[in-house]
Amino acid sequence: MIGARTALLLVLGCLASATAFGRPVSYAGGWTVIEESDRLSSSALVHYTPSPTMSLGLKTEVNRDSDFAIYSVHPTLLAKRWFGADYQGNLYFHGGIGVASGINNNPQSDHMAIYGGVMADWETRSLFVGYRNRYLEAGEYASQFMQAFRAGFAPYEGDSGDLHTWLMLEIDHRPSDPDSVTATPLVRLFKGPLLIEAGYNLTVNQPLFNFTYRF
Amino acid sequence: MHLLIKTVAMTTALCLCFVAEAQEHGDHMPHDTHEHHDHTHQETDSGHSSHDGHESEARPALTHTEDIDSALAKGGEPIVADVLGVVCDFCALAMNKIFSKREEVAAIYVDLDTKALSLVLAPGASLSDQTIADLAIQAGYRIADIRRGDEALGMAS
Repeated sequence: MIGARTALLLVLGCLASATAFGRPVSYAGGWTVIEESDRLSSSALVHYTPSPTMSLGLKTEVNRDSDFAIYSVHPTLLAKRWFGADYQGNLYFHGGIGVASGINNNPQSDHMAIYGGVMADWETRSLFVGYRNRYLEAGEYASQFMQAFRAGFAPYEGDSGDLHTWLMLEIDHRPSDPDSVTATPLVRLFKGPLLIEAGYNLTVNQPLFNFTYRF
Repeated sequence: MHLLIKTVAMTTALCLCFVAEAQEHGDHMPHDTHEHHDHTHQETDSGHSSHDGHESEARPALTHTEDIDSALAKGGEPIVADVLGVVCDFCALAMNKIFSKREEVAAIYVDLDTKALSLVLAPGASLSDQTIADLAIQAGYRIADIRRGDEALGMAS
C-alpha cells in the first residue's frame, strides 16, 4: 500500500534527477554522463536532453555503508533559468523512481525506491553558489534526507576551450548520519565537454570525485 | 514526514529568493545588456573603437579565429549575437553543438569574455534573427541583440 508520503514523493520523482552541481540538463539533443562519488555513495547517470528544459536518464547509485544499490529512471526538470549578461541562475526539480536491491551479501529483498528534491545555482564566470537537497524513500533500506550547499570562486577567467579552474567548499547535512554535517573542499577543473571535481571530506576523511562529460 | 515538510519549506524559500532576484534584475536584462558590454575581446574588430565613449560602438564585434576568417574570405555574412547567461564552457559547447548542425553556418565561435556568439554564414546562405533566437533557446540560452554585416565587424558608423 502506497502511503501519502510515498505518493507525494512519486509526484516529485515524476516531476523531476542527478543531484550533481554540474548542469543536469543539457542542450536539446545532448547526452551527458555524470559520475559522482562522495563520503557515502557512488553513482553513475547517463541522461538525454530532449528539450532544453528537461533531461531523462538512467541512474545507478551504490550506497556503500548501507550495502544497497538503487537502479532508477531519473528525470530532471529545469523549472526556471535566469539570464543576465554576466550571470546565470537555475532552479531544477530532480528525482527518480526505481528499485533498491541489496549488495555485498545483503539479504534484504528488493524495494521500490523513490526520491526527489530541488537544486538551485547561481553562477558568474568567477563566482558560484549552489544548493541541492534530496529525500529518498527506499523501504527497509533507507528513508533519508540530505542537503548540501556549495560556494566557490575561479581564480582566473578562462575563455572558450581554456582550462577553467574553480576552488569550492561543500557543506553537506545528512540528519540520519552520525556525522550529520561535514565539509569538503574541492577543486573543479573544466575544459570543453569535461568537468572533473576532486575533493576530500575533512570531517570523515573520505575522498570526493565527480566527473561530467557532455556530448 | 517532518523531513519532507522541511524540504518543501526550503524549496519554497529558495523559489522566493530567486523570484525576488529575477524581478530585481533578470526580467530587465535584455534591455540593459548593452550597457554591460564595456570591454572587448583582444581579437575583435571593435577593439579599435572601444574607447571613444559611444556605447553602441563598445558592443562586441566578430571574434576572429582561423575558421571565422576563412569563412569571411569566402564571402559569408558575419553575424554577432549578444548572448545572455553564457558563463562557462558547457554554455559555449551547447551553442557550438546547436549552431554547427545548421548547414547555413560556416564558422562559429562563442567568446566568453564578451558573451558574444560570432557566426559566419556560408556564401549565399541566410539565417533570420528569429531562427538565431530559436536556436539559442534550443541551446538553453537567450539572445539579447543581433548585429550583421559592417556592424558585426565593428565598422558601422
